[in-house]
Amino acid sequence: MQKFFRRNFAGYAFLSPWLIGFFLLAIGPILASLYLSFTKYNVVRPPQWIGIDNFVYMFQFDQRFYKALQVTFQFVVISVPLKLIFALGVAMALDKGIRAIGWYRALFYLPSILGGSIAVAILWRQLFNYDGVINSILRLFGGDGPYWLADPKFSLWTLIVLAVWQFGSPMLIFLAGLRAIPQELYEAAEIDAAGPVKKFFAITVPLLAPVIFFNLVLQMIEAFKSFSGAFIISGGSGAPLDSLLFFTVYLYNEAFSFLRMGYASALAWVLLFIIAAFTAIAFWTSKYWVHYENERG
Amino acid sequence: MSKLTRRTFLGASGSVLALAAMGRPAFAQAAEIRHFWWGNPERDKRTFAVIDIFNTKNPDIKVTGETLGFGDYFTKLTTQIAGGNMPDVIQQGYGVLFEYIANGAVVPLDDYVGKSLDISKMDQSAIDAGTVDGKFYALSIGANSHMAMFNTRLFEEAGIVPGTDFDPYGYTYDELAEFAAAIKEATGVPGTDDNTAGYQNFSDFVVQKGAMLYNEDGSYGPTQEIVEEYWSTWEKIRNAGGTPPAPESAGLAGVSDLAQMGVVTGKSAMSYLWSNQLVGLQGLTEDMLGAAMYPNTPDMVPGSIVQPSQFVCLTRDSANPEAATAYMSAFVNDLDMTAVLGLERGIPSQSDVRAALQPKLTDVEARSVEFFDKIQGKTAVLPPPPPSGSNEVEQTFQRLAVNVLLGERSISDTASDFLAQAKAILARA
Repeated sequence: MQKFFRRNFAGYAFLSPWLIGFFLLAIGPILASLYLSFTKYNVVRPPQWIGIDNFVYMFQFDQRFYKALQVTFQFVVISVPLKLIFALGVAMALDKGIRAIGWYRALFYLPSILGGSIAVAILWRQLFNYDGVINSILRLFGGDGPYWLADPKFSLWTLIVLAVWQFGSPMLIFLAGLRAIPQELYEAAEIDAAGPVKKFFAITVPLLAPVIFFNLVLQMIEAFKSFSGAFIISGGSGAPLDSLLFFTVYLYNEAFSFLRMGYASALAWVLLFIIAAFTAIAFWTSKYWVHYENERG
Repeated sequence: MSKLTRRTFLGASGSVLALAAMGRPAFAQAAEIRHFWWGNPERDKRTFAVIDIFNTKNPDIKVTGETLGFGDYFTKLTTQIAGGNMPDVIQQGYGVLFEYIANGAVVPLDDYVGKSLDISKMDQSAIDAGTVDGKFYALSIGANSHMAMFNTRLFEEAGIVPGTDFDPYGYTYDELAEFAAAIKEATGVPGTDDNTAGYQNFSDFVVQKGAMLYNEDGSYGPTQEIVEEYWSTWEKIRNAGGTPPAPESAGLAGVSDLAQMGVVTGKSAMSYLWSNQLVGLQGLTEDMLGAAMYPNTPDMVPGSIVQPSQFVCLTRDSANPEAATAYMSAFVNDLDMTAVLGLERGIPSQSDVRAALQPKLTDVEARSVEFFDKIQGKTAVLPPPPPSGSNEVEQTFQRLAVNVLLGERSISDTASDFLAQAKAILARA
């Protein structure tokens, strides 16, 4: 034991900043929130153990919990595929060997750097306000735009557009994936008189499948956790009519507006299980549509 | 050599900063006191100026100020409670205060009264308002009531003369519907905000109808009939044409930021707030603002109350309560400091402070004082403090009222849903 310690001391010493951070800032709070999810805790008074009451209430009585799930699912199901299609489209356009490609890549990646920020969410609010830029443009063409943000029919779409606009990081990954596809395959297909559509579905998609899968899982998790846009645009409450009540926004409100830290912790754990379940499903289905080059089959 | 001294200096000042950040006194002789309030630009300016005055007069105490908008204030305070690092002196409102007292986050001041804390000039009613179970907890920094603030220029342009065409201290919802539409007709600006989602107006309406917002036993007071009547009253005003488009009003449901009020953005000619906010709101508007009470029913049963607008309180995390209470005492008594604060937080509760302010009131402050004189005898009695959960009931009202504004659900449907949810919230709190 002593020998082991002496031999590895330097290694652990170098790891220690990360280890301390991991145990103090990640594992600690995670375990604390697991404990809190079985308590009633309003911050001011010490937590009170109430068993599974939080979960019973959530599934049996809490209508806003179901509303939050519905909004979040809707957001994930619509925004993730749109974003991936858009990212792939741009990546394929950039893969043509244009001059100054580095600039284009940086330019298209820019929204992803900005996109998650509070400033862009506020900008988005201005864009889609009734007196905002979008409606001013519509008015130029004689139309009268709706209340994008105040009307529950449209509000979620403004956030979907915001999410799709941040297509930069999946695009870069797609671009790298496209580069790895051997050109000979396309040349061979062309000799066999395959059109662009045929080439896309017969060569690009199957060979890119591992990359598509990777992007899908990553973007799905990100979409489930999406918070700041909905928080800022809805003024923190999920308004109008809870149409922007993302799961994370609901969780935040329960914790910090109504001081139900225990209940909010329970919500956080349910979200964790939902994300884990969806990721597991994605992995399970991947057996049928994702094939790796080194696979024998 | 010079490099070494510079480095030593940097190191030393770094550790002083670190100590200061941890809330401990950096130097043994200067007690550090943190004062945290919610505000608006006008209030922040005045409060920081007051802190400077205090620090100059009291070199042994160093007060620092922290401020946030109302929307984020309690969120930050909550995390500070959890972290055990609440500021020494915090601002509290009538309502939430009682939850903090019940939970022990705010501590009694009785031990300091007559020593570091002077309340000899304070109105008895203000002392009573800050007293719970015989213990004195909270220094009132001003009285407050509901006030409708209107753009006098737009009213003038439409030929609506306060006092002649309507009595600002007693007009009905029907009259409001009429002159609001007239203003829209004449100026193009809707005459009034739409209060369908306005909980302050609703709470007045409940009392105007002879009910209470919360019954003695803490249960919710309004009946199905009252909620329905409130929403149909505003529907009538809306249909008369004197309000902004309904989706516009829906977007403002629950918004407390002064800069977004209709009378500031120019999207309506009258907004409904708290009387102390007149000073802050006037600071954001070019046109002169006039003051009126909230509208009433023809029976003119008083619905608004006069209540302490804000308190300053001592928290349990204060390491130096003597210094903190000395600052609190100066905050409400020191005539140099109260002269700067003026009426921005409401009408002061100290007779000598009021007397000192009287001759040098600004125009807008004079309007505030006049309003308070005129509403005497027209207000309702102060109800017992609201139960915990009342904040969530309020937000639920604001959320569900959007259904009515957008015509998504019927008034009766929404009203029964709201009352069911209010009941559930109070049962769970």
